[in-house]
Amino acid sequence: MAEGETVDIPQERQAEILALEAKLKATHFEVLGLAPGATSEEVRSAFHALSRKFHPDRFHGRQLGSFKGKIDAVFKRLIEANNVLTDAEKRQKYLDENPGLRGSAGGAGAPSAAPAVKTADEEARDAERRARFARHPYLARASRTQEHITKAKAHIAKHEYSHAFSLLNIAAQMDPQNAEVKALLNDVRKKNDSQRSETDLKRAEELVSQGNDDLALQALRAAVNANASNHEAAYKAALILERKGADVREITGYAQKAVDAAPGRVEYRVLLGRLLDAAGMKALAKKHFEEALRLGPDHPDVKKHVKKRWPF
Amino acid sequence: MADREPVIGIDLGTTNSVVASMQDGTPTVIRNRGSSNLTPSVVALSKTGKMLVGQIAKRQAITNPTDTVYAAKRLIGRKFSSAQAQDAMKVLPYTMVAGEHDDVRVQLGEKKYAVAELSAMVLRELKADAEAFFGTSVRKAVITVPAYFNDGQRQATKDAGRIAGLEVLRIINEPTAAALAYGFGKSVNGKVAVFDLGGGTFDVSVLDVSSGVFDVIATGGDTYLGGEDFDNRVIEWLVFDFAKENGVDLRKDRMALQRLKDAAEKAKIELSGAKEAQVNLPFISSPAGGGAALHLQRTLTRDKLEELCGDLVAKTISICEQVLDEAKVKPTDLKEMILVGGMTRMPKVVEAVKQFFRRDPCKGVHPDEVVALGAAVQADALTNADSEVVLLDVTPQSLGVAVAGGFVRKLIPKNTTVPTSVTEVFNTSKDEQSTVKIMVLQGEAEVAHHNELLGEFILTGLRKAKRGEVEIDVTFDINSEGIVSVSAKDRETGLQQSIQVTASGGLTEDELRRILDEQADMLLEARSGEELTAKKNELKALMAEVEELLPKLEQSTQGSEFGKDAAIKARAALDSARNADEGLLLAKVIESIDVMTRTIGLFKGVLDRIK
Repeated sequence: MAEGETVDIPQERQAEILALEAKLKATHFEVLGLAPGATSEEVRSAFHALSRKFHPDRFHGRQLGSFKGKIDAVFKRLIEANNVLTDAEKRQKYLDENPGLRGSAGGAGAPSAAPAVKTADEEARDAERRARFARHPYLARASRTQEHITKAKAHIAKHEYSHAFSLLNIAAQMDPQNAEVKALLNDVRKKNDSQRSETDLKRAEELVSQGNDDLALQALRAAVNANASNHEAAYKAALILERKGADVREITGYAQKAVDAAPGRVEYRVLLGRLLDAAGMKALAKKHFEEALRLGPDHPDVKKHVKKRWPF
Repeated sequence: MADREPVIGIDLGTTNSVVASMQDGTPTVIRNRGSSNLTPSVVALSKTGKMLVGQIAKRQAITNPTDTVYAAKRLIGRKFSSAQAQDAMKVLPYTMVAGEHDDVRVQLGEKKYAVAELSAMVLRELKADAEAFFGTSVRKAVITVPAYFNDGQRQATKDAGRIAGLEVLRIINEPTAAALAYGFGKSVNGKVAVFDLGGGTFDVSVLDVSSGVFDVIATGGDTYLGGEDFDNRVIEWLVFDFAKENGVDLRKDRMALQRLKDAAEKAKIELSGAKEAQVNLPFISSPAGGGAALHLQRTLTRDKLEELCGDLVAKTISICEQVLDEAKVKPTDLKEMILVGGMTRMPKVVEAVKQFFRRDPCKGVHPDEVVALGAAVQADALTNADSEVVLLDVTPQSLGVAVAGGFVRKLIPKNTTVPTSVTEVFNTSKDEQSTVKIMVLQGEAEVAHHNELLGEFILTGLRKAKRGEVEIDVTFDINSEGIVSVSAKDRETGLQQSIQVTASGGLTEDELRRILDEQADMLLEARSGEELTAKKNELKALMAEVEELLPKLEQSTQGSEFGKDAAIKARAALDSARNADEGLLLAKVIESIDVMTRTIGLFKGVLDRIK
């Protein structure tokens, strides 16, 4: 502070500004007065609280002298810290560059070794303290992860995979290194996809019976996307597309998917054969027709399409 | 506290303006001396030579169309040659002429007025209303502008305030002001979207509000989309059918045009409540050669209006999508959705908004008054130490400098919270370049001349060296008042130049392009990491091709002098390319790309001939 300068800012606020100015080079967390690893919500609210005090507008029209530059520098620094820590991408990059700032779930806060003898009173106080600790956002993370896993398992047991999936997803975000979460997530993702795929297929069947081909097609596409081995959905999609006179390549794509997922189904082979035949790929078509004939010589589709065309 | 000098907030609108002030801790609209909350933003020169402002000017518009100015906001800070001003000229009945700096002037009687002067007349009227209310002089004001106004338009609005005898404490964005008024005194906590469709402009903003702090996350809009455009659609419809029936183009008749405008606006407003509206304009045209006068009588249904304006509504929604995307917010993350501006009374608009945001808009705000109330809140926050309100505003458009090749290097992207400053290193773009020109641009276009030129300056006395070797720090700084300063500093000599950006001289796009072309030799070169990497990759691919061709060439030109010579030169070129690839100078990399490309061309030519 320059001597003899008149500055129209209360003494204590001046001191706060100087204290923040001294922290300009500190980490983004420290500048905002937060512990490393503070969540983006915590960052935002700390930033807002500091804005209320240090936004240059709070000093509008006042005599500021050398504090004008200080306030500007301090506030720009606060904005920078907030920008980095509340933007998922920038935050990740910053934490990758400064791994020490991630903030950890365990370790740091473990209570020191207990004294040999404890009175009941002390015991109760400790319990209370532990509970408070567990509720603390950083420490709570580990216990919350565990909680999510337990809940997710209960849902898995009831075959409610989409619930389980979202819980595990949250758990994975809270604790990306947890191997159990990873394994469960992988498994549930598959089950969830195939469950969703089945539901979509059922919906599509209903829609077809109502004559709504467009919506049915949407559902079937979703079904195939969710689970590429849902051959029934792929087959039905191909049939509807054929009926609508869609692009041959797309129809053939679905027919191929159906055959890939269930190579032993006669009707899939026949359909694919027909499509390939129509597209001029006679040799490939022949292969599928022959396979169909071998698999089910008496299948109605074979009788209808193959025997007529393929007199062997 | 009652002794504090009164400060006012002004919503200077396209069609109407409102003034408000903080009264006993509540923002309150100040009625004008005609006891109305809204003052039409209309200025006219009466037949008797008197200047009229507000309601009285609006009332005489029909009988005095060529000397009545409305919608001046659409022209403020615009260039005469801009597409927007030229379009406006087609529908506005008053006469516009070009000013000295390609700014717009309006001819009223003998005199030409700058648009800021005309807006100043409206502001002076509002100031007088406030003074009548307080019984004391009022000097300080916060004025609102559409969020998407560029620096030129903001400066011109500030100028208007100054001409009207006001100290403009701050120019703030209309949707931000609306959010301030909405959130003031409430314990709102969460994200809020403001959809502001006014008479001439459209804005959307997303804010994060937490007890007194109003943090703007993203803002966007279109300065040429509003109620006037809806009116024009109706006018076109009326005029077109009338021409078909009677073979008369009503647009050529200024008085008829003014009557059509009034009738269209009236019908549009009626259709917000009713399903049908009558347009009845008797004696709208009298044939030149005498004969019976023509009347215009039509029924406009709500469905027809919606059909005429469907694309305008769709446009607002697509802008919403964009802004939410920029804010990284989903419609479901929003706590509240606020509608502002008279046009948000149109059922079709409400319906579209509801559908997009998947919620009912907040009903607690008055769409015409909320902006002025918010301006009053901010005016109070800036002058009252006890205020709890802090506004964290953002830059509405990106800022950057022109670089070699006619492109922009953006230093401050849009939606950056102010105050902020950014420094980036640039290089000279030519050998022996002793001068660089820093051209400050505002806008989102990649190509320099599609942006707005805010200002320019020259840094001289650079060391003469190969291109790319001299390094210059360019710093952009925006303070919390939104004032932009730019400085450039030669790293070696410490030489420095800077400007504070004020309104530009008013250059047209063509002029700007011409200037940029002329000064191509003086521009900077971006030392952008991405660009360098991209060019290096290009160079590597070319080098690999040369390396592959080289043995083939040696084989086919075996023994010949030419073959040996070419191979030696190519090896040397490859060595220098490798050096460039390991270095950091973009200029060198580009140079090597040139050499490699030429070498490949030569090799291929030789090989072809031999085959």
